[in-house]
Amino acid sequence: MEKIKIFWKKIIQTGLWKLGLFFAFIGPGIITSNVDNDAGGITTYSLAGANYGLSLLWILIPVTAALIIIQEMCARMGVVSGKGLSDLIRERFGAKITFYLMIILLLANLGNTLCEFAGIAASMEIFGVSKYISVPAGAVFVWWLVVKGNYKSVEKVFLLACVFYLSYIVSGFLVHPDWSAISKAAITPHLNFDAGMLTMAIGIIGTTIAPWMQFYLQSSIVDKGLKADSYKYSRMDVIFGSITVNVVAFFIVMLCAVTLFQNGLKIETAKDAALALAPLAGSYASMLFAFGLLNASLFAASILPLSTAYTICEAFGWESSLNTKFVEAPQFYGLYSLMIFLGAGIILLPGVPLISIMFYSQVINGILLPFVLIFMLLLINDKRIMGNFVNGRLMNIISWATVIILVALSLAMVVSAFF
Amino acid sequence: MAINREPQVFLFLSKILGRNIVGATGETLGRIYDLTAEFVEPYPIVTGIIFRSAQKRNPVVLPWKDVVDMDQSISVSVTSIQDLSALHLREGEVLLKDALLDKQVVDTDGAKIRRVNDLHFLKTRHGLHLVHVDVGFRGLMRRVGLIRVFDAIFQGLFDYKLPDHLIPWKFTQPLSSPDLLQLNIAQNRLSQIHPADLADILEELDIKQRAAVFQALDVETAAETLEETDPKIQVSLINDLNSEKASDIIEEMSLSEAVDLIGDLPKAKAEGILKEMEKDIADDVKELMVHPEREAGGMMTTSYLSFRPSTTVREAMDKFRQEAADVDLVYYVYVTDEEERLLGVISLRDLILADADQILEDIMDERVASVKLDDKHDTVAEQFAKYAVTAIPVVDETEKMHGTIIFKNLLEIVAPHLGK
Repeated sequence: MEKIKIFWKKIIQTGLWKLGLFFAFIGPGIITSNVDNDAGGITTYSLAGANYGLSLLWILIPVTAALIIIQEMCARMGVVSGKGLSDLIRERFGAKITFYLMIILLLANLGNTLCEFAGIAASMEIFGVSKYISVPAGAVFVWWLVVKGNYKSVEKVFLLACVFYLSYIVSGFLVHPDWSAISKAAITPHLNFDAGMLTMAIGIIGTTIAPWMQFYLQSSIVDKGLKADSYKYSRMDVIFGSITVNVVAFFIVMLCAVTLFQNGLKIETAKDAALALAPLAGSYASMLFAFGLLNASLFAASILPLSTAYTICEAFGWESSLNTKFVEAPQFYGLYSLMIFLGAGIILLPGVPLISIMFYSQVINGILLPFVLIFMLLLINDKRIMGNFVNGRLMNIISWATVIILVALSLAMVVSAFF
Repeated sequence: MAINREPQVFLFLSKILGRNIVGATGETLGRIYDLTAEFVEPYPIVTGIIFRSAQKRNPVVLPWKDVVDMDQSISVSVTSIQDLSALHLREGEVLLKDALLDKQVVDTDGAKIRRVNDLHFLKTRHGLHLVHVDVGFRGLMRRVGLIRVFDAIFQGLFDYKLPDHLIPWKFTQPLSSPDLLQLNIAQNRLSQIHPADLADILEELDIKQRAAVFQALDVETAAETLEETDPKIQVSLINDLNSEKASDIIEEMSLSEAVDLIGDLPKAKAEGILKEMEKDIADDVKELMVHPEREAGGMMTTSYLSFRPSTTVREAMDKFRQEAADVDLVYYVYVTDEEERLLGVISLRDLILADADQILEDIMDERVASVKLDDKHDTVAEQFAKYAVTAIPVVDETEKMHGTIIFKNLLEIVAPHLGK
């Protein structure tokens, strides 16, 4: 027994050392991408696969390209200016615009946080835990992270847990799909002009390119304190991260397409997807799916309120540090608490219309995204901020085209929500 | 007793920007876009108005002396904008909105970084003076244009009017450009802040501002601040300096801090700095760098005073007065023989209280606790706890003294592991 203990200790010691080395190379880009595969993302991907089969798979390729283009600009701004996005927006566009932008961001992120807690509730229900236990426990856990202030190390634990995303890929291979059909679907653009499919396509784009990500990515890059000459590593990090997120998305869509869609099962939530997988792909696949959802929700639920509070306090110049006491940084802790309290609280209300809350939070995101993207493009072309690192002509054409398409799609979604 | 009181009015920048400028003929010339000001003590004085007009593409400058009256619009004595020149800043002149509004400043009184929501002017007969920066929530609401709504809500709900949060200009250090930091170097406001607070501020700033602020500090303040800063940030700050400036700052640091810092630097940089340093300090540093950081040898400093046993108290005190300013440890002096073997220790109190003609051998305490060069930090901590001293000498196997560990330096190694 004693021997096993020593052996185990040795493994942990040496293993942790190697793990540390591994995470030293992992950058903000990859973390952001992994947070991006949150409850909302997994739900959207499963619905896309289950309801439309392989026909929407192709959209992930242009989405990856758009994600890379936008995140690269964020990373470049972070490295060159050394400032967060809300900081730059405030200094360039003034107090009024920033104030309203931050209010919309707060609402949008509150909606997103709500989705994360809904994800925690849904995934734990698959394991037979009532939401009246799992959601408060999740909220307390997220709260505890900040009170203890060792968020950085927890981030690494979550990242490790992100290896569970591989479970989607493994499950994807386990069901022995028809690869030739899949690769054909992946490169053949296909879109019916029926409202449902169009909404789903916009949903995939919206959940992959979310406004809060740009703020979060840029501030994590600033936190890393990289200099302009090491920018190429940041770019690699962002590109690798953007591809990773969409590879996982690809496998979720595919998994749901070849199991649920081919058997004609209709689902409404990620929980349905996990439950429906059990008879088709085995209970392990179902459990893994649920665990992946739990991990993603918890990870995003820890980051979203924190990132929101940071972003807003940065814009308004309020004290925002985990090392301060509540009375020293009342706005920071107030915002953070409000996000968790409302996010977890609303889920627990009996008879809350969850699906429409999620839908409207997507709409608010859709309203916010055009502003954020246009501000980003104006900032990145500002020589006073970016110096020689402004967009080149080709990059401007590509990025403006991307942004115009994204803005048009966001507007289409917002308009369709009201009519 | 009739005193002709000067008319004094307070004004906010947000209430000035965007106002119409009306020329002598009653014609509207344009809208105020920014103000220029000269940074003089005690309060910067507004020197001109920048405005845009329909006729000219580039903004033009109107000298402040041409302003006749400030009401809802601003009346000026100029008739046509053709007479006005394009923007050209003189030495010491700054664009106020561009440099300050929405930017970060350091509140040197509260030792905090703030974001400027508004600027507060005092209008006297002599001109318009910048007296406060507004960093409060009310200022933000004023900018957003919701000040009335906000005040009404506060009045209605809490029966309370939120006061403006104004910081006097003399406690404000602008950060937005390196020029602004240099501008104030004569009365450097940053050096009014305690180095430990200044270090916190540096850690909070972004990478460019951090370097700019650090480089604006005088050598002594820079050294004191650097001692309090996180090691990672120390390295990046020093890396941005040339070897000459870096060595000047590091020479001012305490020896053990300097050794830790140089040990963390890239090899080429460290060698460059050592070359620039005064030879005796560089030698001390090199000697100390041999030891691992977490062993007694790595924590100790060689900057202490030691005497032979036959020295009189008077001689010792004279030497002490001459050298103590540059010595890291002053609370104890050590007594050693010709081969530097540790014989005893005398506290500063005992030294001061002793008769001037006594020799050190008679007043020294021979029961001196010491640690070995390769003792680990927890052993050192145990010795400190056991003997309740503020410094412990470090000796080798032959009892030869190599240095002494000051409690503060142990704390720096041990503190990060406390309470976790």
